[in-house]
Parts: sequence; C-alpha cells; structure tokens
Amino acid sequence: MDRMDTALREFFGDAVVLGGRAHRLVPRLVGGPVTLEKLAGRFRIEATDRGVTRLYPGRGVLAESARARRHAAQAVEELGEYLAGRRAFFSVDVDLAGVAPFQARVLAEAGRIPFGETESYAELARRIGRPRAARAVGNALGANPVPVIVPCHRVIRGDGSWGHYAFGGEMKTRLLALERATPALVGCASTRIVCRRGCPHEQRVGEANRVVFASVPDARSVGYRPCRACRPDAAA
Amino acid sequence: MDEATFTRHAEAYAGRLYAVAYRLLRNRADAEDAVQRALLKAFAARASYAPQWAVSTWLYRVLSNVCIDELRRRRPPPEPPPTGGGHHAPRVEPMDLARALDRVPREARLLLALHYVNGLSYRELAKIRGISVNTVKSQLARGKTILRKALGD
Repeated sequence: MDRMDTALREFFGDAVVLGGRAHRLVPRLVGGPVTLEKLAGRFRIEATDRGVTRLYPGRGVLAESARARRHAAQAVEELGEYLAGRRAFFSVDVDLAGVAPFQARVLAEAGRIPFGETESYAELARRIGRPRAARAVGNALGANPVPVIVPCHRVIRGDGSWGHYAFGGEMKTRLLALERATPALVGCASTRIVCRRGCPHEQRVGEANRVVFASVPDARSVGYRPCRACRPDAAA
Repeated sequence: MDEATFTRHAEAYAGRLYAVAYRLLRNRADAEDAVQRALLKAFAARASYAPQWAVSTWLYRVLSNVCIDELRRRRPPPEPPPTGGGHHAPRVEPMDLARALDRVPREARLLLALHYVNGLSYRELAKIRGISVNTVKSQLARGKTILRKALGD
C-alpha cells in the first residue's frame, strides 16, 4: 500500500456519518414516483408524409395518407414510452416545412440539447450565432409546433427559472424531473453492449443486467460496445 | 422480497449508499436525492431481484446507475490552474484530492469511491458495474495514476 492508498482511504473513509438519521433517506416506498403515463393519450397529433407537424393538447390524429398515419402512430408510441420513463430519445420524423427559417434553426438546435440537460435562452442564441437574439429564441421556442418531441422544455432562463411553457410551468417541471429520473444510456452486463434508452434491444435487457453509463467513451473504456441499431455513438 | 424486508435492508445500507453518493456528487442535497431515487428504483424492481446476488451488491448497482447518470448531466469542471511549482507536499491534502478526483474519468472515479468508501472487493466492483475483474483493476490503477499526476506526486 502506498501513500496514495493511504490518502484515498483517509479521504473516502472520512465518511459523512449520518448516524441515526440514515432511515430518513428511505423514501416512502408505496405510491412511488409520479408518472406522466396518463398524459400519453391527451395529445392531438398532426402529420404529413414527411413527419409530425403539430402536437397539442387534445385527442386523436390528423393524417391524410397511410404514410402520415404511420408517422403519427410512431409518435404516439414513442410519446407513451417517453412519458413512462422508458425512452430517452425520439426517432420519429418531424416535418418543419411550414416553419420560418429562423425558427427552424432554433428548433433544430434545441433538439441537440441532450436528454435530461438544460440550457439557457441566451446560450441557445449564442449557439445559432445570434447572441443578442435571446428573446427571439424564446419566441421561436414558445411557438414550437411539436413540443416534447422537439425538447423546448430543456431551455430555461439564465437565472434558472423556467420561463414560459405552452403546457404550463408545472408540466415543464414534471418533464424535467422525469428526464432526471430516466437514464439515457443503458448497458447490458451480459452482452456488454450499450444502447440508448428506448432502443428495442435496450427494452429487452433484464433488470439484473442493467448498467447505466454517462457516455459512449465511458462505456467503451470498460469494455462495452455501442449498439448497431440505435447508434448511441452517432447520436452523442 | 416483501416490503418489510426491503425496508430493513434499505435502512441498513442507506448510510453507506449515502457516503458513496456524497463523495461522487459532492453535495448533500444531490446525494440524498440520489439515494432516495436509487431506493425507489430498487423497490420498484424488487421482483426481479435475484437471490444469488448479495443485497448490498444489488443496491450499490442501482445507486451507481443513478449517480453516473447524474454525473452525465454535469458539465466537466474547468481546467484547474497549475499548482505552484514542483515542491513536494508532505501529505496529500483532502481539498487537493477532491479537486484532483474531478480529473479522473467517471468510471474510474466511481470504482475508486466504491472501493475506498466501503472497502468493496474487485469481484464485487466487477459485478456492480457489469465488467471484468481485470477491467476493475486497470481502471483503479489508471485512476490512481491520474491522481498522482494531478497532485504532482
């Protein structure tokens, strides 16, 4: 044992003793976390051949062709999984053809904010090369035709407060809390393959084999390889 | 596993789980939150708990999953300013060590915390992270090398 071992042992051993308060950490187990699953059926979805065009409170689907209906059905399914905490990304196509170029750029950039993370309006404005346009970015996001799928809820004010959200501040809080409780990358301990949460392969991983990773390089560093179906390495 | 048994195990391990979470996340609120979320997840999944696993291994696995995902959301810390010229400190100060740990990759940092906070064996660490014992050893060694370098040892 060398000096580093001793230092580490002292550092980590200097445990934050909780004493008799440890039991306070055991949460009320029955009742469990609030889920948003029941919200899944409360959206109305419009789609064209190219993808989903609108999503708003309501019911049912507006899609004229068979292809459009397939996009809408995929959106319904993915939304259900997302709200149940079983999915960390959307693969359904979004059709932003009816959206002005500036707004399309803002929405595309918002789509790059990783699952579970947040960014300020000002940061997003900077990333699209319009650092003084934070307010315009806010307006563009406020008029997001496909909320949730295009994650405008991950954009918050610079001071950490939520800002406006079409479905209300309470919903924004719940979506961010849901994302906080849902891991984005899940590895399978028996196959040593890492998937994005929501990939069909990931959904088959048994509870006892689930290992969460923070990034694909992290997973690679301990001998896992990225899944070839959901391509977590390409998404990162 | 029924609710009463689960609660008993949870109470027995809450302190140790908290110690690991605190060392990784570095603040009280996040550590408490991580332990609570881990226990809720473990409780929800208790039907799939395989009795050939030690309860502790299983709880550490769930906690590690929560902590690693929490670390994912944090931006990497800014590069620390270079520490004053090559003099050898007589001992490693805890504050320096805490800062140096930020430079250790997450996987190795987690293994270091589990190994040194709770004295878990290589075999247990391997099981918790779903990796081989050799990977555990090389990760721990790599972590310590980075620490030594960061501390100018």
